[in-house]
Amino acid sequence: MSKLTQRKSMDYIKKQYRETRKMPGSWYLSNYKYKYNITHLQPFLKKLKEKKLVGLKCSGCNTVYYPPRFVCGKCLVKPNRWVDLRETGKVSTFAIAYLKDPETGEIQEKPMVLVHHDGADTASIAQLNPEVDFKDTYIGMPIKAHWAENPVGGLMDVEYYDLMKDDAKDLDLPED
Amino acid sequence: MGRQVAIVSAGFSEHASKRSDVNIAELVSEAVEDCLKKAPSVSFEDIDAFATGNMPGFEGSNLPELWMADWMGARNKPLMRVTTGGTTGGSVGIAGYYTVTAGLPGIDTVLAIAFEQQSQGDTSVGLANVAYGEVSLLNYLGLTYDQVGRLLSAGAAIGVAAYQATNYMHKTKIVEEDLARVVVQNRRNAAKTWWAHLKMPNLTIEQVLDTPYISFPLRYGMVCPASDGACAVLFTTEEKAKNMCDIPVYVNGVASVAHETAILGYSASGSAQIDPSEQLGAMKTSEICYQQAGISFPRKEIDYAEVYSPFPNQELMWVEKLGLFEETTAPEMYKNGVTALNGELPICCSGGVNSTNAIGASALERPAVAALQIMGKASNQVPKTVHTAIGHGWGGSLNLCTMMVMSDEPQRKWR
Amino acid sequence: MDKVGIVGFYQVKLYSDANYGRYEMIFEAVRGAIDSAGLKKKDITTAISCTNDYYDGRTISNCYTVEVGGGYMADESKVEMDGAHAVLYGLMRILSGNHKLSLVWGGSMASCFPYHAARLYETDPTWERPVAYVNDITAAGFQMRAYLEKYGVSIEDIAKIAVKNRKNASRNPLALQEAQNANITVKDVLDSEIYADPVTELMVAQPCDGVAALLLAPEKQALKITDNPVWITGVGYNQETYYLGDRDLTKSMSMELAGKMAFDAAGIKDPKKEIDLAEFFEAYAHEEVIFSEALGLVDMGEGTNLNSEIDGDIPINPSGGAIGGNPPCGTGLIRIIEAAKQLKGEADGYQVKDAKKAIASGQIGMCAQNNIVYILEGGN
Repeated sequence: MSKLTQRKSMDYIKKQYRETRKMPGSWYLSNYKYKYNITHLQPFLKKLKEKKLVGLKCSGCNTVYYPPRFVCGKCLVKPNRWVDLRETGKVSTFAIAYLKDPETGEIQEKPMVLVHHDGADTASIAQLNPEVDFKDTYIGMPIKAHWAENPVGGLMDVEYYDLMKDDAKDLDLPED
Repeated sequence: MGRQVAIVSAGFSEHASKRSDVNIAELVSEAVEDCLKKAPSVSFEDIDAFATGNMPGFEGSNLPELWMADWMGARNKPLMRVTTGGTTGGSVGIAGYYTVTAGLPGIDTVLAIAFEQQSQGDTSVGLANVAYGEVSLLNYLGLTYDQVGRLLSAGAAIGVAAYQATNYMHKTKIVEEDLARVVVQNRRNAAKTWWAHLKMPNLTIEQVLDTPYISFPLRYGMVCPASDGACAVLFTTEEKAKNMCDIPVYVNGVASVAHETAILGYSASGSAQIDPSEQLGAMKTSEICYQQAGISFPRKEIDYAEVYSPFPNQELMWVEKLGLFEETTAPEMYKNGVTALNGELPICCSGGVNSTNAIGASALERPAVAALQIMGKASNQVPKTVHTAIGHGWGGSLNLCTMMVMSDEPQRKWR
Repeated sequence: MDKVGIVGFYQVKLYSDANYGRYEMIFEAVRGAIDSAGLKKKDITTAISCTNDYYDGRTISNCYTVEVGGGYMADESKVEMDGAHAVLYGLMRILSGNHKLSLVWGGSMASCFPYHAARLYETDPTWERPVAYVNDITAAGFQMRAYLEKYGVSIEDIAKIAVKNRKNASRNPLALQEAQNANITVKDVLDSEIYADPVTELMVAQPCDGVAALLLAPEKQALKITDNPVWITGVGYNQETYYLGDRDLTKSMSMELAGKMAFDAAGIKDPKKEIDLAEFFEAYAHEEVIFSEALGLVDMGEGTNLNSEIDGDIPINPSGGAIGGNPPCGTGLIRIIEAAKQLKGEADGYQVKDAKKAIASGQIGMCAQNNIVYILEGGN
């Protein structure tokens, strides 16, 4: 069969059958298990239990990673110095997701912020105090960690971030 | 040392949200046929090697090249598969370039094919799987399911782009109208491109702003569709290109620089990109490309640009980061019509990714359209003569970037 | 083709269920390769990774490996085939003159997923996947049966290959522990569990956890970095048709064409005489025979008669080959590293004497549909 006749016969078939036979190509991940090494996170989780925040500092480039990181990508070495961090930080960016509540079907506005802790060079994803009207969120907004009553050494020990009062007086220059 | 590479032809399949009349293999053969039709002197015997790729997670088919070999014409031919997420197409183009330029014995002409038939698989599952492992780690470390659910919604491409959009809007002090304007320009351009997906010749800014939010500040009307489609580009050497087409398009610079993973980070360790719209990777990519192509003033020397922008804020951001406009001036340029079809620097006249997004193929369609604009064969051809053009791609978690600089004259001879 | 030097390499020990995190394993391999050449992160201008979304269980499997894989601010890309194909892309980038040092790493963790179930996604989705009769194991069964029938070879001869490779693996400290067995006999192989007759468990390369990395540099740079680089002088790759019915299963067409391309590039006229050793990616024991025939190391049908022990005529898989451990996406890369070790004389315990030229191969697909061959030559 020449290429042209082959092509023509294809056209003929296509006219009769508008749909090609297809198989649903689903891919289930339930059989997979993922392996992570979290030894480098243990001191961080221990400190969380004591309501303290620590970051991991790379000796190559002095970048402070919060949450701690296994490898510094810039230098390709393991960061190995622990540094204390403050509880305060800034909103580095935010987004508001509009999700359907599975029970009521209502569209809920769920804000998520990227928090840049003072003293750290990385930002982590977190949520704001639910009482804060998210419409007031802005980039650079000062915030402070709100601790859970009974920390257990998990990521939820910092429940959410409280809004700090933007005390502009601090910034005023002293009068002569 | 490397050989000069030229693009002689590029072809597309028709794009739609559900191409149920074809399967992946037939979709690919559509693009290959369109590509070879534009270069009549080339037949399958002339093609020495293949470079291919797609996003396998979206189709539920691993390494489809294996069973599709015959549909591509790749039987008993060398084939290399490259996949890098959203930049897959761009990476495939770059792989095609390197296969020619490396000068392996017997390999002169290479067909690069990128494809995606998202309607076959479950796109949302595919997207969720990007961070599935990292999120399960977060869950193990004590994050509640409620939180994880939010992360998933914000962690997928749209969420990451929303973070980026907030940053960009903060920096440039623009409003949603400026974003909608980009969408309108793209969708109207798409109406004049035969293979595009979302063709809306009469779209207005009000209509875009009338749609609900999907993730603030992005609305449904601003977001790219999910398409089925394929794209094929034919690369060859400088000597052979002259016999294959009238105006060969020379590839003068390629690069694909990776930056740190944004938002979640590996092992869910946060993001070192405090400002996701900073895009150091894209800046380095363009720097390397321009250096290779000998372009010193991209703003003056580049006549046409195709950037990868599923979301309108990204289009504004990329044209600045790739050195086409000054920082924070892009919205103004869209307002003044500089970027329109008959403007000074037309951008995404095919409608861009914003109108057609067959994920694996999209980043190859960018250099393909740019090349056709230089040849004068594009379906929405710009009126002015295009000498130098760029095609750009973006992917991963804001961290991968590809770029290709093309021109109608070879520039690397002096090396 | 200009010759390209392998200036550094590292392989993580293979485990069937490694006590490693994914990123930890990648980092160990990448850092090890850079250290073995005495270089720094900033020397890497291009990084090519090799992973597979389905084997890893993640879409865009290179998305989170940028930092640990040495790709930060480097010209990064991913090849989704075998590790040996990733080396090809790294090689092309060096040959283009755009890059002076390229890092290639590949591998994944088979303990994270049922490997052969993931391989099922590679079959034709319309006709073969729904029934799942044709998969990589049954296809190997077809091929082995076809080969045995055509040349009148006995199954014991194929089992001998598995025995040889498992014995060789016992001398290789980095091989998979389960595959290392110095006292294995042909009977053990034939009596092991039947996967798809005539393929038995011990003839199959067991998928395992492992990552390997290597560094490539152009001739001038390679000599600056190390006194004793291994040169890649030829490469060939090819893909044949998918459908088993369209192929002659008793031979490997793609390997033959790939070998031709590689021998042309390296200027090899008579592989039988010129090649000192071969490292094949044999997913099943019989593939080693078919590959050596396709590459002309032995006459057609004579593959099982070749003395391929470490001190034999042409030693094949002195490291144990893929049967000595098969980390998906990493095996072909490990074959190249093992061949390089032999040429440098660093293979303690399984060193081939006077090794000057070696072959290394990688493959993907059912019955090795897509093959890649490298010709490696020893240093100065």
